[in-house]
Amino acid sequence: MEVFIAQLLNGLSLGSMYVLLVLGFNLMLLVAKIIQFAYPHLVVLSMYVCWGMLKYTSNVFLVILASIGSCIAINIATEPIFRLLAKRHGLDINVSFVVSMSMTLVITDIMSHLLNYGFPIAFPSKWIGKSVIGFGLITFSSGQAYALFGGIAAVLAFFYLLYRTRQGRVLRAISENSLLSSIIGIPTIKTRVISYAIAGLLGGLTAIMLSKMLGSASPALGDFVGMKIIATSIVAGLGNLKGGLVCGLLLGITESMAIGYLPGSWSNAISFMMMLIVMLIKPEGLFGIKA
Amino acid sequence: MLRVEDIFVSYGPIKALENININVNAGETVALIGANGAGKTTLLKAIMGIQKVSAGKIIFLGEEITNVGTDKIANRGLGLIPEGHLVFSTMTVLENLQLGSYNNPNCFNDNLESVFESFPILHKRINQIAGTLSGGEQQMLSIARSLMAKPKLIIVDEPSLGLAPKVIGEIFNILRGLNKKGYTILLAEQKAKKALEFVDRAYVMEIGKIVLHGPAQELISNPKVHNAYLGSKI
Ligand SMILES: Nc1ncnc2c1ncn2[C@@H]1O[C@H](COP(=O)(O)OP(=O)(O)OP(=O)(O)O)[C@@H](O)[C@H]1O
Ligand SMILES: [Mg+2]
Repeated sequence: MEVFIAQLLNGLSLGSMYVLLVLGFNLMLLVAKIIQFAYPHLVVLSMYVCWGMLKYTSNVFLVILASIGSCIAINIATEPIFRLLAKRHGLDINVSFVVSMSMTLVITDIMSHLLNYGFPIAFPSKWIGKSVIGFGLITFSSGQAYALFGGIAAVLAFFYLLYRTRQGRVLRAISENSLLSSIIGIPTIKTRVISYAIAGLLGGLTAIMLSKMLGSASPALGDFVGMKIIATSIVAGLGNLKGGLVCGLLLGITESMAIGYLPGSWSNAISFMMMLIVMLIKPEGLFGIKA
Repeated sequence: MLRVEDIFVSYGPIKALENININVNAGETVALIGANGAGKTTLLKAIMGIQKVSAGKIIFLGEEITNVGTDKIANRGLGLIPEGHLVFSTMTVLENLQLGSYNNPNCFNDNLESVFESFPILHKRINQIAGTLSGGEQQMLSIARSLMAKPKLIIVDEPSLGLAPKVIGEIFNILRGLNKKGYTILLAEQKAKKALEFVDRAYVMEIGKIVLHGPAQELISNPKVHNAYLGSKI
């Protein structure tokens, strides 16, 4: 029972990280009509920023500000690229997919050539914190507690923004019908940029929490997380935010349970098998496509 | 108020509008009539900055708005009610109206009150998801949403499309009421008889050109218009 509870907590904290990334990914898909495959890579890049900042300062506030700020800034910096493409190709999701794929290669290259000589980075133990509860081999660390509570708070704030505020209404309007939105006077480009900023904010928060939770990062982490984020989004139904919420949590829990109860590290294989089965049964995703 | 001067629009190699001149004065109701594919919607899109104009000028309230962004044109006081009663179908009636007042959220409550006065049915359905409204109700919501921005000129594209005759009558009554309240209206409509009964003046379009224009009464009695657009229904 202790193992179950500990793994459930682990799963929820890991899952809430997936949820944040799936939400940011889907927000850009819905509002800006792009597949930003490089989004998780940008998040890993902000983990590097966080790591780099920790070397120079012990001011936690500054570290957090720099990590989140860099994620927002770099994410917004990609917007003109996608806008230029949209000008030439129309809002073609496939084109954005190809281009963001090449962005992942560039970002991964930067991390593996220029940062820490390509070696994985490890966050200082002061940053990660002590374990809160431990049951033999299974522990729940303070990093995971940050991820769990921070993740829940960020997800709630995101849904509040989207469904209870004027800005959220405008984002939903553009996502449903951007031409009609501009006809009623909503500036579409500005609103798209805002969606990049919000996704960047979610990504930056995730980077902070991931650094505390995982304690390390490597150039390959972006590809690894990216695969899961896009697969989860498709399994949930592209553009389906509530579906992304459920499936992100499910993925985290499945992986944790597999780690807790199965020998060896089969957690990835198991989650991808489950996704395969879902796609065979429900090609439009568990909750339906909304993009 | 609105002046369109010698504009040309093409879809790739296809010329959709040639040498179009129209003007709308404050307080007037003006119609564009013409068969399917005459170019009415294209002209309205060009005015709203949705379709690129290749030559000519569009002037609204003394300022040129040719090829200016659609949102900017809307914010200058042009309220387009597009073809096919378009609403934000996943959102509630209230949310649609809130979006309509994007640019003057401060007058939201006053505007909402006056809109509900003209459309009591929307008041009753305030929390209903717009996509589940009937076609007529969606058309009313579409009009109401544009009124929330207090536009200086209302442009209505084919408000009768897909609606039952009784509902069409209601919609035209609403438009008439709006004109009495001081709104200037430019209407594109295939149903020439309905349109000519409603407006002060009209332009007749045929394959991308304006072939006739004049006061509605004159056009109704013009034999050419009569044969081509009013048919045996009179
Ligand atoms: N996006 C487009 N690409 C190419 N041709 C178009 C496009 N939109 C409209 N057209 C063409 O332009 C012409 C004018 O179309 P438009 O929609 O303006 O007509 P309309 O007068 O509004 O007709 P209706 O009464 O059926 O709404 C038509 O021949 C149409 O096929
Ligand atoms: Mg039309």
